[in-house]
Amino acid sequence: MRESSGNCGKCGICLSVCPVYKVLKEEQASPRARVQLIRAYGEKRLASTPLLKELIAKCLMCGSCAANCPSGVDHYSSFMEMRSRLIDDHGDRLEIRGLVYLLARERRLRMAMGMARMGQGVLPDRVAARFKLGNIAVDRFPRLNSRQFRKTVPEEIAPAKEAGQERGTVLYFTGCASNYIYGETGEAVVGLLTRLGYRVIIPREQSCCSVPMLYHGGVDEALTNIEQNIKSFHRPDIKAIIVDCPTCGSALKHEFAAMMERFDRGELMRQKALDIAEKTLDIMSFVYSHLSEMRFSRDSSTPIPEGPVSYHLPCHLKNSFVSAERVLNNIAEVDYVAAEDTSECCGGGGTFFYEYPEVAGKIAGSKIDNIRRTGAKTWLTDCPVCRINLSARLDSADDITMMHPAKYLQQKLVDVIREEDGDCDSCNGL
Amino acid sequence: MLEHAVKSELIALLGDRFSDEPEILTCYAYDSFLEESMPDAVIFPKTTDEVAKIMALANRAKVPVTARGAGTSVCGAPIAAEHGIVLCFSKMDKIMEVNTADRYVVVQPGVINGDLQKVLAPSGFFFPPDPGSMNFSTIGGNVALNAGGPRCLKYGVTKDYVLGMQVVLASGKVVRFGSKNIKDVTGYNFTSLFCGSEGTLGMVTEVTLKVIARPETTQTLLVTFADLDSTARAVSDIIGSGILPVSMELLDKMTINAIEDAVQMGLPREAGGTLLIEVDGSREACDRERSQIVHKVKEHNVMAVEEAEDEADRNRLWAARRAAYGVFAKIAPDILSEDVTVPVSKVPEMIRRIYQITEKYNLKAGVLAHAGDGNMHPLICADRKNKEEWKLVKKAFREIFVAGAELEGTLSGEHGIGLAKAEFLPLVMDQESRDFMACIKKAVDPNNILNPGKFV
Ligand SMILES: Cc1cc2nc3c(=O)[nH]c(=O)nc-3n(C[C@H](O)[C@H](O)[C@H](O)COP(=O)(O)OP(=O)(O)OC[C@H]3O[C@@H](n4cnc5c(N)ncnc54)[C@H](O)[C@@H]3O)c2cc1C
Ligand code: SF4
Ligand code: SF4
Repeated sequence: MRESSGNCGKCGICLSVCPVYKVLKEEQASPRARVQLIRAYGEKRLASTPLLKELIAKCLMCGSCAANCPSGVDHYSSFMEMRSRLIDDHGDRLEIRGLVYLLARERRLRMAMGMARMGQGVLPDRVAARFKLGNIAVDRFPRLNSRQFRKTVPEEIAPAKEAGQERGTVLYFTGCASNYIYGETGEAVVGLLTRLGYRVIIPREQSCCSVPMLYHGGVDEALTNIEQNIKSFHRPDIKAIIVDCPTCGSALKHEFAAMMERFDRGELMRQKALDIAEKTLDIMSFVYSHLSEMRFSRDSSTPIPEGPVSYHLPCHLKNSFVSAERVLNNIAEVDYVAAEDTSECCGGGGTFFYEYPEVAGKIAGSKIDNIRRTGAKTWLTDCPVCRINLSARLDSADDITMMHPAKYLQQKLVDVIREEDGDCDSCNGL
Repeated sequence: MLEHAVKSELIALLGDRFSDEPEILTCYAYDSFLEESMPDAVIFPKTTDEVAKIMALANRAKVPVTARGAGTSVCGAPIAAEHGIVLCFSKMDKIMEVNTADRYVVVQPGVINGDLQKVLAPSGFFFPPDPGSMNFSTIGGNVALNAGGPRCLKYGVTKDYVLGMQVVLASGKVVRFGSKNIKDVTGYNFTSLFCGSEGTLGMVTEVTLKVIARPETTQTLLVTFADLDSTARAVSDIIGSGILPVSMELLDKMTINAIEDAVQMGLPREAGGTLLIEVDGSREACDRERSQIVHKVKEHNVMAVEEAEDEADRNRLWAARRAAYGVFAKIAPDILSEDVTVPVSKVPEMIRRIYQITEKYNLKAGVLAHAGDGNMHPLICADRKNKEEWKLVKKAFREIFVAGAELEGTLSGEHGIGLAKAEFLPLVMDQESRDFMACIKKAVDPNNILNPGKFV
């Protein structure tokens, strides 16, 4: 195993940023402990046991420890490797294995989503309210798209007519969430990009970003998927690869190249992965670089609920890109109120909220308390898992609508005023 | 291994807040120091009453008990040197009372220093001790190690803010010292005795702390000097002339470059030394002190003076300082950070000696210091697996402590003695004084169950 804990100085700085440690207040739930446990295992002081697996897995993989470690410990890779090793030894919950199996092939996922959609259709609400996933009632989960988002749009979408002259081509990685659950996010992303004058290509061949597989020991499946994605996304002619989900984005930015290197997939694949990493940009950063050309309206005739809007910053956005708060703060027509803990983790973490419902519930609980205090009626967040985890815990009495910031802005966007040369700032440096 | 009866009693009392699984114990075998030792069990009490019952039981069964806050000590103080139980206070984390009218707060020991600061901030008050670990270390650990921090130059260390405390003695008896009064000279000053006792005298289960009003403004300067000697002389000159900044943090060339390599904060790589100086108070006082300082440093081979323009700029400079310890861990597998302290006028001489010693042994070393109060942290980066090099590291540190003692300094300004420095105690404390400490320890902990194997 790669010796990634060698240079941990045990300083404890990572304790202060770890959402799991913050609620449990037990060293064994801290990043420092995980690093030391992996070290002890590597030095054969600890055997591979179910408890060791539990200690390593009780982690959101939010990446905050790595982002804040002054010594540059690569928590992400070492946790990931250790997780798969321990899953090899002790297996995983059946339903999590099932998820990995489904995500591994787009075809399987499509079929499963179809069945789930039918299930949602036939399950009476009374029954759905009684069943729980984690500690969330099933009826609090979002409805699946009636049709896969990618099926509703052509593979190549021309710039909007009102955008005038074409500015270039971007690829859009929809991720599973927009494709199967939050189709409206996909529509909004395409809407914003085409209104800004970009041709958008949504490669048909794309599949899951692989993060869920990597977290749950599906390394082989992940590798196949990643290679497939690299092949369909590596195009020298494109200006950027746009992601709407920060976790997919962080995978494209960090994991693709790391996996090509780790499994020795050759220099060419590594270079392609690095090229993808460099071009990957989250939609709100893309919007930010065009903000001066965009005009928004305060007009309340749009379907957006009235009143102030607040935002939850997903960890993967914070740790791999830049907070979308800078966009909201810079639009005069947006009545933005920051919550006290806007940038604190929500406790969702892939399947974490399902596997450790109590911890996730505590982390999310204080976010919900704080959002209520802001008085916001609209709560924005980029990450679909954060959105599922948080919206499911809101009461119906809360009257708070959650959506992706792209959706919110698309509804407010009145006009794009093209500047002279009008090239994409954020892409210039790519 | 704990006796079966002791284990059963602890489980009956604490339920799942007891563990003796090796995976869990591994996480309580370390702090930020190098040496590690596995405890037999770890427990998480939630109330004073539970702590009292645990101590009575441990005393009866003569099981060692070592208190732990967040385990950020850099001297091995919370390491269970003789095994037994690690009693972790991290779940006793309630802020019980905030009373700014009477200028005190009452907290449980597991409260994180930074969390207390956050709660106090809206009222315009603060708790001055601010160890570099303030965002993750606990008040209990701060008290037991008498922690200091950059602000201590002006505001003093933890003991200067402890008004009272509740302590569970080794016997399990619960006692209270001090009160909520800023002025209190009733009886022995036990609160001070417990500050720095490193968990060897009793378990602190509640602390009353003095808080003070936040100054109107704070101004921060980063001064760059051509060489380290000038940097050190500037420190003693400023302090000697009666100016009292809040803090004066010294970073040497190696530290600056290590930070820049790791986190690129725009610090001047070519400088021989830098001082991060902060003044606070009313705007007029700050302006006056700042210009006095600028005037003074200019007499000492200064290269540049940078003033933080806003809060973000201040944070950037402080983040650099706070990252300093961690970035060294990047350089080598093992980092030894020491804590020798000398009277401030002797800082230039002490720094010269540190460099002479580490150069003599060809070691990679840097100096980081809360220089205004003479508190220096020589850091040596090495690899313990390289036995020869490690021997030299040990030799170098002994010589550094001897040099410190010769300059009328002391073994620790803030990190404590723990496992790291017990053997050096005779350098600064004679036999009678050490006997007196042992006598107090014996009186309150006759079975030597409280953090045994440490400096008493
Ligand atoms: C990056 C970094 C920067 C640091 N900067 C500073 C600094 O600027 N100044 C400074 O002084 N120190 C500093 N330290 C050292 C350390 O953080 C402090 O000494 C801190 O006070 C330790 O607190 P803790 O909660 O981690 O205690 P621990 O390390 O867990 O314990 C410390 C000692 O306190 C005892 N103890 C803990 N709780 C109790 C209790 N309730 N009752 C009785 N005994 C108890 C333990 O037995 C042990 O002896 C730094 C450490 C790091 C890693
Ligand atoms: S911040 Fe980095 S060096 Fe410090 S304890 Fe955490 S992992 Fe180790
Ligand atoms: S990835 Fe997040 S949850 Fe996991 S150890 Fe790091 S900070 Fe904690």
